[in-house]
Amino acid sequence: MYSGNCRRKAGPGVAPLTGADRLPERKLLFWAGIYAAAGMLALYPAMPFKTGFTAVIAGLVTTIAFFLVNLYWSYCGYRGDLFLLPITAVLSTTGLVFLFRLEPAYGIRQFVWLLAGLAVLVLVSRLMIDFRFLSDYKYIYALAGIVALLLPIFFGKEQGGAKSWLDFGLFQLQPAEFVKILVVLFLAGFLTENKAVLTAGTRSIGWLTLPGLREWGPLAAMWGVSLLLLIFQRDLGTALIYFSTFLAMVYTATNRIFYVFTGLGLFVAGAAACFHFFGHVRTRVEIWLNPWPYIETSGYQVLQSLFAIGSGGLTGAGLGGGYPGFLPAVHTDLIFSAICEEMGLLGGTGVIILFMIFVYRGIKIALSSRDEFAALAASGFSALLGLQAFIIIAGVTKLLPLTGITLPFVSYGGSSLVANFILLGLLLNISHEAREFHET
Amino acid sequence: MKPNILKLGYLLLGLFVALVIYLSYLQVIRGPALAANPYNRRLQEYESGIKRGTIYDTRGTVLAGTGFFRGEGRRVYPAGPAAAHLVGYISGRYGRTGIESAYDRHLLGMEGIDRVRNLVNRLLGRDRAGGHLVLTVDAVLQKLAADLLGGRRGAVVMLDTGSGAVRVMASSPGFDPNYVDQTWSRLVQDPNSPLINRATQGAYPPGSTIKVVVAAGALGANPGLEREIFNCRGSLVVDGYRLTDSAAHGNIDLRKALAVSCNTVFARLGLDLKPDGFHRVIESFGLKQDPGVGIPVRPGTMVSPAAMTPAELAASAIGQGEMLVTPLHMALVAAGIANRGVIRHPFVVEKFKDSQGQTVRQAVYRPWLTAATPEIAGVLRESMVDAVQYGTAGAAGIPEMQVAGKTGSAQNPHGQTHAWFIGFAPAERPRLAVAVVLENAGSGGAVAAPIAGKLLSAAVNRGY
Repeated sequence: MYSGNCRRKAGPGVAPLTGADRLPERKLLFWAGIYAAAGMLALYPAMPFKTGFTAVIAGLVTTIAFFLVNLYWSYCGYRGDLFLLPITAVLSTTGLVFLFRLEPAYGIRQFVWLLAGLAVLVLVSRLMIDFRFLSDYKYIYALAGIVALLLPIFFGKEQGGAKSWLDFGLFQLQPAEFVKILVVLFLAGFLTENKAVLTAGTRSIGWLTLPGLREWGPLAAMWGVSLLLLIFQRDLGTALIYFSTFLAMVYTATNRIFYVFTGLGLFVAGAAACFHFFGHVRTRVEIWLNPWPYIETSGYQVLQSLFAIGSGGLTGAGLGGGYPGFLPAVHTDLIFSAICEEMGLLGGTGVIILFMIFVYRGIKIALSSRDEFAALAASGFSALLGLQAFIIIAGVTKLLPLTGITLPFVSYGGSSLVANFILLGLLLNISHEAREFHET
Repeated sequence: MKPNILKLGYLLLGLFVALVIYLSYLQVIRGPALAANPYNRRLQEYESGIKRGTIYDTRGTVLAGTGFFRGEGRRVYPAGPAAAHLVGYISGRYGRTGIESAYDRHLLGMEGIDRVRNLVNRLLGRDRAGGHLVLTVDAVLQKLAADLLGGRRGAVVMLDTGSGAVRVMASSPGFDPNYVDQTWSRLVQDPNSPLINRATQGAYPPGSTIKVVVAAGALGANPGLEREIFNCRGSLVVDGYRLTDSAAHGNIDLRKALAVSCNTVFARLGLDLKPDGFHRVIESFGLKQDPGVGIPVRPGTMVSPAAMTPAELAASAIGQGEMLVTPLHMALVAAGIANRGVIRHPFVVEKFKDSQGQTVRQAVYRPWLTAATPEIAGVLRESMVDAVQYGTAGAAGIPEMQVAGKTGSAQNPHGQTHAWFIGFAPAERPRLAVAVVLENAGSGGAVAAPIAGKLLSAAVNRGY
């Protein structure tokens, strides 16, 4: 689990591997740094001196921190993917610049969380480099995950309609953000172990062959947890992420589209029941279908989002030129709308393309990985991050119902940021192993 | 399992591609509508943070300016009702009209160099300002025109024939653009519709003023017509409809027929032109177009050639048919005759200045339409001089110079005739063309012609 010498992989006798000095990553980080500096300097003149100065320093320190991570990895001979860190740097500095522009107090907090996230990333890349041990205890942390998820229902604090925060006084924690990762690891382990049975089935009902209870029980439990989240925490977004990631991984492991359709059917059935029995779910759907009659009340948020995006046009109003004050929850859920208003279609598309590259690299890692657990985990992480970005962007553009989730690496939120850095670290560890496997 | 991972990858990338497509649709195609939605407070907010540019008349008098009262920007219109229709108003509740609406982006500094400047100003936290406009109209003449109209329903347009510049564009009754919000309910309920710009949106039958256009068409089709003698018996029966004249004019030539405004002769000429020929000459004077003066103009309307019966054609040729035109259109007819047959492109904005007062764009004088040959225009000019000297338009005469003109008294279903006058001065080397209309006010010679005369006199004395 813990390796005493971080350089052991590139020890004597092992030929230095191409890319081990991580020069391409450093070059890309250089441009990410220029990007961050440009953003902060554009904010500087219109700000009071002190906050402007803080913003520039925060941008500078963040850039240096990313470089330090690169240099440390380079020193250790870490061979994780070279593109994921620069993409993350651009995404998270975009978020940082916009948070300073929206509300400097959030910017400063996000800056601290960003440094914490990078520290966690380094720890993950060091302590969990042999990530395979994570598949051994899957049932234990499946249980831990469920407990963590259920805690806020009893002890949680309600915020913005969703009851998914635990209050620790100094800071608040959103367990669902971390449990996402446990879910992917659990499913990767569970599906690797039960893949054969799930694919072939053990008993047949007519033409259909189905596996036994022991095999599909945990999957049904996942479905139940998703619905519980939906009902008790009113957290439609997180439920959607869990469930779609779950389906993506089951499909990838078993190649049985039947599971996907059954799952979708069950989810739709569950959602329909919720629509019927729970007023807040019904309102959400009605707002989604036609928000205009509710423009002063519940439809306000999504319409303000559309106004912001529509006002952005092709090139946007320019950084600082928009009116994010009209956007409720602009620093979390609606940050993408603010980006679209000020950076226009070009900026919005840029952010989407960054997520596309992230997913592309993730899928590439999954394809080149050494065994099924790693492949499943890598594709699960890619799907998780990609789907989360998709669901919130589709939500603010009213392609899907708007839900209260974060845009990974961009939105304000410590739990979300740190959890996504853990995800990044695990993905990098898988690629580190894969490259070693392919190149030596 | 690898093919499945690949499929998953394609699915995820496909979802993002769909997002990009939908985002493009939202921002580029639906964007303008979303930006202009009344519930979207961005434009209002943008306006409150910027000093809207000033609108000046051609001599530098302020027609619209932004002042600050108790820290809040407020639009002030020193000219009041006199230029209200042309300059327009801005209201948070009731929208914007006129020049204020047509050149909104320039006045708000959203175009050209001001756009860049305001971007920098915003970044530096400095005040932002919009560009200014210098109009072609003269505030003094504008005020005089409004006074001469005296609250009666009607409009006056005066043009510089050589350049196409609009010197006067007045509509009556007026309203005070400084108090649109406060007086709105009264303004929209007023049966006299004070908010309508009658000069560009008023639709009137042209009455006898159209005869100059018919004469141009007839001379174009048959140049020998100038020497022909017509016999007027005081009435003409077309398809069972009887057109009457004020008097039996006897044997007269075209020039005299125009000067005395003989209905019989012009109904005859219209019938000779046939529906197609009549339409051609109407179009050659631009009566069916929006001339693009800077603010929207209602294009003239009439019965299509295919549907035009002889009775309708005869009635249209004396301006009594279904044809409806605006005062601006008729002013352009007068300007075309004055300018040897060439109508100059009309415009109301002389100069666009940026927020620093530098001229960034200047009106270009250019011809718009060639309505008639110089020879035909010459014949028409002489006839119009006759009309003022001994014909129907005598009241337009002024001591300073010779005025040329044509009156009209358009019958309509709403009561007394609409009084029309179109003309230009000085007749020998015309510089100014004018059109006056007063709704249900009586005969053109008695009511409209004197207003034109006084306005031409004042304009010449001011050096136009």
